[in-house]
Amino acid sequence: MNLLRKLNRKQKLALIAFLLGLIALFAGSPYDSNSVKINVKEIALSTIKDSDKIKPEILADWIIQGKSDFVLIDLRTPDEYEKYSLPEAENIPLVNLTDAELYKNQKLILLSSDNVQSAQGWFLLKSKGFKNVYILDGGIVGWKANVLFPKQKPNMSKEELALFEKKKAVTFYFGGKVLNDSGISESNSEFNLPVQSSKQNKTSSAVNQKKKKREGC
Amino acid sequence: MNAPFYKFNYFNSDISLVVAFLIGIGFGFALEKGGFGSARILAAQFYLSNMRVLKVMFSAIVTAMLGVYFLGVIGWLDLKLIYMTETYILPQALGGLILGVGFVIGGYCPGTSVVSFSTGSIDGLMYILGAFFGIFVFGEIYPLISNFYNSTNLGVITLPEVLHLPYGMVVFLVVIMALGAFLLAELSERKFAFRNPENEK
Amino acid sequence: MESVSKIVSDLFEKDQEFVEPKPKPYSDPYLVGIGLGLVLLAAFVIMGRGLGASGAMSSIVAYGVNSLAPEHASSNDFYKEYIGDGTTNPLKDWLVFEVLGVLAGGFISGTLSGRIRVRVEKGNNISKKKRLLFAFIGGSLMGFGAKLARGCTSGQALTGGALLNFGSWIFMIMIFVGGYLFAYFLRRQWL
Repeated sequence: MNLLRKLNRKQKLALIAFLLGLIALFAGSPYDSNSVKINVKEIALSTIKDSDKIKPEILADWIIQGKSDFVLIDLRTPDEYEKYSLPEAENIPLVNLTDAELYKNQKLILLSSDNVQSAQGWFLLKSKGFKNVYILDGGIVGWKANVLFPKQKPNMSKEELALFEKKKAVTFYFGGKVLNDSGISESNSEFNLPVQSSKQNKTSSAVNQKKKKREGC
Repeated sequence: MNAPFYKFNYFNSDISLVVAFLIGIGFGFALEKGGFGSARILAAQFYLSNMRVLKVMFSAIVTAMLGVYFLGVIGWLDLKLIYMTETYILPQALGGLILGVGFVIGGYCPGTSVVSFSTGSIDGLMYILGAFFGIFVFGEIYPLISNFYNSTNLGVITLPEVLHLPYGMVVFLVVIMALGAFLLAELSERKFAFRNPENEK
Repeated sequence: MESVSKIVSDLFEKDQEFVEPKPKPYSDPYLVGIGLGLVLLAAFVIMGRGLGASGAMSSIVAYGVNSLAPEHASSNDFYKEYIGDGTTNPLKDWLVFEVLGVLAGGFISGTLSGRIRVRVEKGNNISKKKRLLFAFIGGSLMGFGAKLARGCTSGQALTGGALLNFGSWIFMIMIFVGGYLFAYFLRRQWL
C-alpha cells in the first residue's frame, strides 16, 4: 500500500495499463466464439412466439416489393437447396450455422423443410446473442402450400375469390401453379418446381448483400 | 442494447451527423489541449525534444484498444461491426512515408492542421490549402496510379491474424510496447530539453 | 509629474498584459491521450467507425471539382466515390461534420486556455513567407500520401491502431520512418 502511494501519476497510469494488458492476456477473444454460452433458464423461457414466425404470404410480398432489409437463410443440405429454394435465399446448412459470417444487426429469416430445423437454428442464434431472428412459418412445405401451389377450394365466396385472385398473381410471380381441390393426389406431390436462374448469385455471403457505404477516410 | 448503436439502427443518419459534430468537438478539444495546435511542438517530435505526439497517440491507442477489447469480451460491443479499412501493403507503406515527410515539412497532419487553424494559425490554413491541392493532384492522376493503389490487397486483416497470436496477447504486447516507448520518450525529452519549444516561454 | 508617468506606464503595462495574457500550459499528454482514446472509443461504440480528417478534405475537393467540371468528376473513379450517386450532397457526410466539430472543439479549448492568436507557427531561423510555403508543400504531400494510404494519422494510425488493423500499423511505422529520415534536412526550419 505504501509503495502504491509513492508512485506518481504517470507511474500509476502505467501500472493500470500494464494490469489491464495482463488481464487481456488471459481474457480470451473479443469476438464471438463458436462455443455457445447457454443460459439454460433463459432459453427454457424463450419460446418461438407467433411474432417470431413470418407467414409465407408476407415473405412473398416482401420479396416482390424488393425489400432488402433481411437475409434469408436456407438451413437444408446443399442438395435440397440446389433442387429448389426461395429466390434470394442463401444456403447455410444447420451444422455450419454458428460458423457463418452473420452480423447481429441483420434481420435473419431462417427456413428449412418445415419448422423443426428452423426452430433449432432459431434457438442456436438466440443463444449466441442474435436478437433479430425469425423463421419462415411452415418452411418450404408451407411455402409450397401457400405461395407456389395454393389450392382453390370449391364454393368460395366473392370476397374469398377476390383474395384468391391476388394470391394467384403472387403464385405466378414465383412460377407456381394454382391447383384445384380435386387436382393432384398426394402420391404425385413432386410438382414441377419452378426453374431457378442465376443460382450462383445466391450463394454470395451476407456481407455482399449489405449496402456498401464509404466509412473510411 | 447492443453496440455499435448506429449499426443496430438505434438512430438515423441525420442524427449521426449531430453525433459526428459532437465527437468532432471532443476530438478537436483533446488535440488542442494536448498542444497539437502548434506546429513547433508537433515537429519537435522528430528532433526528439518534445514527444507529445507519441505520448498522446499511443496513450489514445492503448485506451481505445483496451476499451474495444474488453467491451468485446463481455459481448456488448460487436467488433465485426466496426468499420475497418482494408489493408493494401505497398500503397499504405508508401503513403505513410510520403505523409511522414509531409509532416516534418509542413508541421501538421490533416487533423492537427484543422485544430491549429481554429486557434488562428495562418500556417495551419496554408497547410489545409496544401492538403486540398495534394488531394486534387491525387484525384487527377488517379486513373494512372489506380493499379498501384489497388495492389497488394489483403482485405480486412488484423495484427493477431497476421502474427497468428491470440487477440488478447497482441493487446498485451501493444501495451508493453507503448509503456516502453513512453519510457524512452521521457528519457529523450530530458536529454534534448534545451531545444524543446515548450520550454521557451 | 513622475508619479503620473509612472501611473501611465503602469497602465500601459497592465494593458499589454491584458492584450497578451499568458497562455496556459498544455495539459499532461498522457491524460490528453486517455481523453482522446475515450473519444475514439465513443465513436466505435456509438457509430461503429473511427475518427478521420483527410476524408472530409477529400469530400470538399470532390465537391469543388464536381461543381466546376461535373463531367470531368463523374469520369473519375476517385471523385465518384466521394460524390456518390448524386442523391445526397457530398458535403452531407459524417466526416465533414466531424471535422466541423474539430474546428469548434479546437476553438473552445483554445479560448478556455487563452491560446487563440492570429500567428504563424515557425522556428526561429526561418522567414514567415518561407514557413507558409513549406506549410503548403507539406500539406500537399500529406494530402497525396493520405489518399494513397486510404487515411491519415487520425483515420488510419489512430483508428486502425486501436483496432489492431495490420495496414494501419504498417502505415504508422512508415510515418515515423519518413519523418525521422527527413528531419535532418529540415532542421533549419524548426530548430
